[in-house]
Amino acid sequence: MKLLRVDMKELAVKSEAVPAAYEHLGGRGLIAELLLAEVPPRCDALGPHNKLIFAPGMLGGAGVTTAGRLSIGGKSPLTGGSKEANAGGTAGDTLGKLGIKAIVVENQPAKPEFFVLHVTADSAELLPAGPVLGLGTYATADALQKQFGEDATVLAIGQAGEQRLTGADIACTGIEEQRSNHAARGGLGAVMGSKGLKAVVIDKADGLSVPLADAELFRTASKSFAQGLINDPKLGPKGGTHMYGTAAITGAVNEMGSFPTRNFSTGRFEDAANLRGEKIREVVLARGGRMGTRCMAGCVIGCRHVFVDEAGAPVVSTLQYETLALLGSNLGLGNLDQVASLNYMCNDFGLDTIETGAALGVALEAGLAPFGDFDAILALLKQVGEGTVIGRLIGSGAVATGRVLGIRRVPAAVGQAMPGYDPRSLKGNGVTYATSPMGADHTAGNAFGARATTNPLLVTGQKELSLKLQIISAMLDSTGLCLFARPPVIADPQLMVDMLNGIYGWGWTKADLDKANRQVLRTELEFNRRAGLTAADYRIPEYMREEPLAPHQVTFDIPDTDLDAVFETL
Amino acid sequence: MAIEVEVFGQLLPGQPRQYQFAVAQPVTVAEVAAWLKLATDEIGLISINGVQSELNDIVPVDCRLCFFPPMTGG
Repeated sequence: MKLLRVDMKELAVKSEAVPAAYEHLGGRGLIAELLLAEVPPRCDALGPHNKLIFAPGMLGGAGVTTAGRLSIGGKSPLTGGSKEANAGGTAGDTLGKLGIKAIVVENQPAKPEFFVLHVTADSAELLPAGPVLGLGTYATADALQKQFGEDATVLAIGQAGEQRLTGADIACTGIEEQRSNHAARGGLGAVMGSKGLKAVVIDKADGLSVPLADAELFRTASKSFAQGLINDPKLGPKGGTHMYGTAAITGAVNEMGSFPTRNFSTGRFEDAANLRGEKIREVVLARGGRMGTRCMAGCVIGCRHVFVDEAGAPVVSTLQYETLALLGSNLGLGNLDQVASLNYMCNDFGLDTIETGAALGVALEAGLAPFGDFDAILALLKQVGEGTVIGRLIGSGAVATGRVLGIRRVPAAVGQAMPGYDPRSLKGNGVTYATSPMGADHTAGNAFGARATTNPLLVTGQKELSLKLQIISAMLDSTGLCLFARPPVIADPQLMVDMLNGIYGWGWTKADLDKANRQVLRTELEFNRRAGLTAADYRIPEYMREEPLAPHQVTFDIPDTDLDAVFETL
Repeated sequence: MAIEVEVFGQLLPGQPRQYQFAVAQPVTVAEVAAWLKLATDEIGLISINGVQSELNDIVPVDCRLCFFPPMTGG
């Protein structure tokens, strides 16, 4: 395999063999080690010394179901620490088949210019961005696929990334109608914009495949893994994730009092029934849309859908739970069509819907528009694309918005907005938000659904649960697996060991895998320490410890000593 | 005195999601599930007035009881 190094100052691309230190790494784990080794931790995240890294997981390209996610990383302009965000689509699988372990984007252009990186099986070159500059992510992908081929993968920033707004993300094309998958968290779209990189185009890996060290071992394990997903009551063809999408949980989160509502001021939303997966299924099927679609070829879960308008025209693929929470209930909106419109706009501008929804919630609390006023909220969001001062503020995320508007109630931890679970009534997620080296990120260790072990309203057991989940997430993010695909490999980690040994012939044991997973977190925490983050940064906002959350009237009461002790047994 | 019940997701397909039961004395969650002919091995999460609960918990009168299928956040 090889690394591609893209020098945006010299406008040159070179290929190099993968250094021995990186051979046993992929995705998030590789990003963490590259950042620690090559990026000055205290550098300006939007300056020339930061690096933007695209890395498929260790299973990328091998044909394992749900394992084609692409990790993108760099020093985050939001958290100030090591950051990885990943997305479905075709990029991870394609890079794996091309034998590209990572694309490392370095430096910045000498003058403000934007480029497109075109990657083929045997070459890579930088081209002037030309007519796609200034376009949203949908139009950018359309134009570049018209130019380079309909089956090419496009990774692109929109207007938000071009403006280096710290709520910006990176859009990744996927299969069929799932054209807009986002590596959303941490402001990595702003890092891409700071590099002068508008898009990466990756040609389809025609006829290429990942060589297997032990084909029988690999195929047996990957088949068992896929069967495990199909048999899982949550994920199989009759499971809620397939039938209702990620919003299958809306009803439960609302019922449990953790559904962010009106800038995290209460945990229940009176119109939550309109934002449930059950409602989405009813509406989508009645209008002629599709449920149970896939963002990656061969996925056996199929959690996606095509949300269509009343005329049956596609609006977004897909309305995700986090988006429904942050752009819906958090803004007082209980209408799927309205949330879908905001979702489309965020996708097109290249904005993280979580960060942007939280920023809008803070802006509404400051009085820029009333909660529930869709037209006024839409007008605020439109300004991101127009580049007005208000638009730049919203596009810079929740913390910046709160600081400028004088709002203390900002739902963020380690500089990054919280996803769709209020930590006061889902305390395990609060521990993850506060302590993860990723900042407030549900994908770093989501405690929702861990009912067998831990009561979400109690203090007991939360730090142990969070650590366990964070270690699992490090594995998922390093192998390219979808977050939903964890049950079979949690039940039997040997499956993962066998898949990796089947590809690479490493002779790993379960202990080796566990050690590697833990090392990801250690490396990220060390980068963050060197970047200047201290225990005082790994905290939940003060107001959440003081303001009780309805309906359970609970505060976030996990002691700081527990937060500080999460990684004691790492 | 009544118990308000709601059933979510793929549980009890084709049947109503909301129920009201008049009760004279406390019952368990498992008894309510039996009234609905809801297979307990298909239940992933139970809440009483929004608090995570178990099958053998007593359901207080004048409460809201919810049954959810197995779910995962992501």
